[in-house]
Amino acid sequence: MITKEQLEGPQKITWCTGCGNFGILASLKNAVGELGVPQNQFVIVSGIGCGSKIPHYINLNAIHTLHGRAIAVAQGIHLANLDLQVLVHVGDGDTLGEGLGHLMHAARRNVNLSVFIHNNGVMGLTKGQFSPSAPRGYVSSTSPPEAGAPMNPVNVVAYALTAGATFVARGFSGDQKGLVALMRKAMKHKGFALVDILQPCQTWNRQLNWKFYNEHTYSLQENGHDINSRIAAIEKAFSNGDKIPTGVFYEEKAPTLAESLALPPDGRLRDHQTDIKAVQAIIDELIL
Amino acid sequence: MDITFNIGGEAGQGIDTIGDLLTQVFVQSGFYTFTIKDFMSRIRGGYNFSQIRVSDSPIHAPIDDIDLIVALSHDAIVGKRNQLVDGGVIIFDDTIKTEELDACHYPAPLQKTATEVGGNIRMMNAAALGAVLAVTRFPFNLAETALSEIFLRKGRKVVDANVEVAKALYNLTKENWIGTCAHDMSTVKMGPCKDRLILTGNRAIALGAMAANLKWISSYPMSPSTACFQDIVSNAQRLKIGSLQTEDEIASLATAIGASFAGARSMVTTSGGGFSLMVEGLGLAAMTETPIVIYNAQRPGPSTGLPTRTEQGDLLFMLTASQGEFPRIMLAPKDPIEAFDVATRAFNLADKFQVPVMILGDQYFSDSVKNVPRIDAGKVEIDRGKRASTMASEPYERFKLTEDGVSPIAFPGDQGKFVVASGNVHLENGHITEDPDIRNSMVEKFMRKIPQILKTLNPPQVFGGRGAETTLLTWGSTWGAAYEAVKVLADKGVSINLLHFCDLFPLKTHILTEVFSEAKGVVAVEQNATSQFAKLVLMETGLTVDKRVNKYDGRPMTPRFIMDRLKEGGIS
Repeated sequence: MITKEQLEGPQKITWCTGCGNFGILASLKNAVGELGVPQNQFVIVSGIGCGSKIPHYINLNAIHTLHGRAIAVAQGIHLANLDLQVLVHVGDGDTLGEGLGHLMHAARRNVNLSVFIHNNGVMGLTKGQFSPSAPRGYVSSTSPPEAGAPMNPVNVVAYALTAGATFVARGFSGDQKGLVALMRKAMKHKGFALVDILQPCQTWNRQLNWKFYNEHTYSLQENGHDINSRIAAIEKAFSNGDKIPTGVFYEEKAPTLAESLALPPDGRLRDHQTDIKAVQAIIDELIL
Repeated sequence: MDITFNIGGEAGQGIDTIGDLLTQVFVQSGFYTFTIKDFMSRIRGGYNFSQIRVSDSPIHAPIDDIDLIVALSHDAIVGKRNQLVDGGVIIFDDTIKTEELDACHYPAPLQKTATEVGGNIRMMNAAALGAVLAVTRFPFNLAETALSEIFLRKGRKVVDANVEVAKALYNLTKENWIGTCAHDMSTVKMGPCKDRLILTGNRAIALGAMAANLKWISSYPMSPSTACFQDIVSNAQRLKIGSLQTEDEIASLATAIGASFAGARSMVTTSGGGFSLMVEGLGLAAMTETPIVIYNAQRPGPSTGLPTRTEQGDLLFMLTASQGEFPRIMLAPKDPIEAFDVATRAFNLADKFQVPVMILGDQYFSDSVKNVPRIDAGKVEIDRGKRASTMASEPYERFKLTEDGVSPIAFPGDQGKFVVASGNVHLENGHITEDPDIRNSMVEKFMRKIPQILKTLNPPQVFGGRGAETTLLTWGSTWGAAYEAVKVLADKGVSINLLHFCDLFPLKTHILTEVFSEAKGVVAVEQNATSQFAKLVLMETGLTVDKRVNKYDGRPMTPRFIMDRLKEGGIS
């Protein structure tokens, strides 16, 4: 058990009043506190954006990286030391745009990471431009004036499922109890776990607000969904219309990336010393 | 003795195998060899060659004169004919349809002998070797010993069959071929050279990295760097090295930064195009002071350029890549032996100063093969730099301001510490800030590293003695051709020397200013069009070179090329 005091953030929070990120941070503190992993074994890896400032508001190891590249950095941290519990906190503007390729490939590698997407449909920090998950027609300062966002949103749950992610869920920042449970499951999962977190941007997004999500979300688990079927999960992922499903879409046990790499038995590349005699043998094999 | 063999043909015909056989025979027989590989960016067909220079004294570059061509295709008969010396011989397979050639050339039954004597057309390699040895009158018994050792790795039966094939064509040639070769090696005894480690630049970098306790490599294949990545991956299981072929170069550097942040010595290998994609990662490594080694085997650009050719065209790009200002280290080994040393130093420098270290190779450096003395991996020293105390009473601060600019490092998971880093400007504890005073302190922390780095880097080397009238100025792989040119000219009585840089940046200026004041003329010799190193020198010292020799056709520099340009400039 890690107490709230121990997790107390080093910096003053800069998010707007009513921001959906508060619910995510509170849920994260709960999930981390109860996971049973020592505090110094957690690492938060974030990208760039409002949600990606979360490492400064919770007391854990952290690296606040680049727009879109957090997952790639995180997989390196994980593989260098398998003892670490690596958590990725990124936004939709970040990971569903520049970082989408890394997300898809990390999912198909089944690298053991928990990826939490703070998904609000806008680029908040740069003042409200449409993000890759903005609905078609969403009007913002950079969308074509008449049409609004002239393309369909990235359906990250569907993408992750088709890419091969082995744990896929969707939470809502307004449902902290549900979100804590999903985060904990994602952290305990051995493999690539993705939680798409619906998170209203109070300041910029007039459409995807608290009222909208409260009225339009429903629980998969309360409605008899089979979490062991990837196909059923994909069907639910595409059922985003009037009713948006939350909860666990899919879960599967599968070999992780680390199991296939040449890592030392204790999984700690960071402390491993190469046998210099073996290197000498490799050199000497090249001698005629 | 200084003889050059050119083995040409289509990709997939086994040119490399013949080349390797020849190299091995001569190395086994005590000679110095230097082999360049010239190939097109395609899997089959085209015109490729492997060119082996053999000498009884040390050699460091390819030369333009070819003594003997082995042609497995028509293109290979004509491709390099203009470089054939008087008395040079073309050996070609007698099934190739060709115009009438002088009688001195030799249509050899390579395929026929391989099939009839060896029972396998693939033994054409051994047949070609037999023909080459016969034409040059190389004593077969000397070759036989070497051949046995080479093929023994594949089993006794393979040895016998290949030696039989080689011998059959050797004897047949002696009986039937009426030409004469300018090179008669019939009196050759064992050569003086004891160097039997066969290395390319790529392989030397890989070995150096492995000896330096490399624990993580993530790369994306890109010619001409790929062989280095492959060499490391092929030994990953044996040495326990984590490796990953990522989706792109952006991910490869980002992943390596993650692994290094978590405490594993990490590197990426790439070429200029891949490095272009890594640039934002370079900035992240710099800002988070995460040690990283980047190996760029350069090729001609821009864009795809010439994928399998050589150039030193990325120097200034790598010098200034990324937004913002930060310390970085750039090293360019001149040959495989130096490459091993550079690779091991690169990791120590990266850890010691917590900065990105970039190794600049190029296709010529990367793919050329040289026999060198045995490397003693046991001599490699590993310096992981300043580690944070495990006993500290105060909260750990990853970016603690120190006198030398380097903060003691800790890794996530270390007891009693939280390690926080950020690509944003940050406080000493790693959390973000926009405070102008902190910004100043952090920039100054970066800058304080530079004089320390300069003290640690190696000075340039002067070859041919100080105080010459003309000084050639080189960096990286251009050294070999320039070194030989200087030797030839000095032997002729020209007052000339060579100032050569391996450690490029930060630039050590002391010897540079001295040599500039001693020489009447300084000539920058570079494998690029714009003399990028000369520009760096100008930028750092205000010194201007007097002449420039540039080569940018994608083919390696030769001593003759340099001497011809010098002659045009009145130096000969």
